[in-house]
Amino acid sequence: MAGMSPSERRLQKELMSLMKEPPPGVSVDVDLAEQNLLQWIVHMEGVAGTLYEGESFQLQFKFTNKYPFDSPEVTFIGNNIPVHPHVYSNGHICLSILTDDWSPALSVQSVCLSIVSMLSSCKEKKRPSDNAFYVKTCSKNPKKTKWWYHDDSV
Amino acid sequence: MSEKFELSGEQTHQEGQINQDELILQQQRQIQQEISESTPLVGELESISSLNAEYSSDEVYLQKIKDLASKYKFVRRTRPDGNCFFRGFSYGYIEKLLSNKDEFKTFYTLAENSKSSLVELGFPQFTVEDFYDTFMEVLKRISDMPTLEESKRELHQLFNEQGYSDYMVVYLRLLTSGQLQREKDFYSCFIEGDRTVIDFCHQEVEPMYKESDHIHIMAACSAMNTGVRVVYMDRGNNKQVTEHDLPEGSTPYVHLLYRPGHYDILYPN
Repeated sequence: MAGMSPSERRLQKELMSLMKEPPPGVSVDVDLAEQNLLQWIVHMEGVAGTLYEGESFQLQFKFTNKYPFDSPEVTFIGNNIPVHPHVYSNGHICLSILTDDWSPALSVQSVCLSIVSMLSSCKEKKRPSDNAFYVKTCSKNPKKTKWWYHDDSV
Repeated sequence: MSEKFELSGEQTHQEGQINQDELILQQQRQIQQEISESTPLVGELESISSLNAEYSSDEVYLQKIKDLASKYKFVRRTRPDGNCFFRGFSYGYIEKLLSNKDEFKTFYTLAENSKSSLVELGFPQFTVEDFYDTFMEVLKRISDMPTLEESKRELHQLFNEQGYSDYMVVYLRLLTSGQLQREKDFYSCFIEGDRTVIDFCHQEVEPMYKESDHIHIMAACSAMNTGVRVVYMDRGNNKQVTEHDLPEGSTPYVHLLYRPGHYDILYPN
């Protein structure tokens, strides 16, 4: 791994670990990530026994060369965006560890686990109440939204 | 940490607020950048009277600086980026340890064993390792220098390289979080509201740039097996600066100057 920047080294390490020991229902597109370490696609299966059983989703992770000090930009992409009170129809996710509470000790794996658990604890499939307004006016990058986290029950 | 619980929440926007977001964030980034560019991560030694310049016509502060100067010789400023306690404390502590080989060795052993105890607490081995490795590398590079003077120069240089300095800060944040979790019954009394110690660690200790309070200092000192004297200087009416030893009753090893929102390192007479 000589000649790599610290962020590339860290990402390479994370990629290997995610390949070898992926959390249940999670898999990373290794070929794509190896072509460009700064942009990954992660496939995620809805957990059996939850509202998302049988569905599959795609998450896009974008990193900067300041990773892991800068949080990754994480969005759902593709034609199946989970219908969930914290997921906007454009794929943006309202989750504090993706902005305010990000720590360099977190990882792609811990973000995936948090999103799996966020989906699994959902009791009613619905979009956020301000979905229409947000989707129309937000920035393309969810990290540019000043999120206001006020409900930790879901 | 595998059962990490985050606040995730429905996010509300008041009408017209969204377009403001980017502006607010942009402004915050700009302020951050200006601070970064004007202050080194850890500065050179400066005389206590150099503080006067910041309070040219403020009698309350000038009086207190006079009092401070009767007890301390130098101040070393740290960058006000929310990491100042962790950066200042670790710099001050390691610098002091350098003048006593036995104490340094004891600390080196403590640091060597710290990774496994974090992993036992449930921190993911693989991210902890990253920061641990750099932390140990810095300790080793500093102590490998042939003279005390060169060791101190190396310390100063590494702490001013973001790549090393921020890794030191992260690892100390993790050690602090580990200490809080290990003694969570004790520390839970110091947390306001209904947050658990774990929530508090995830929201206020582990993320970079989050400012430190008494509770962070107590836990960081416990984790490093040392004590800190925090010297408070604010606009309060008393003529003298106020001293707090943390943890209570400990022998102060590192001295820090606290002005609302910021810590710098102090050097006693």
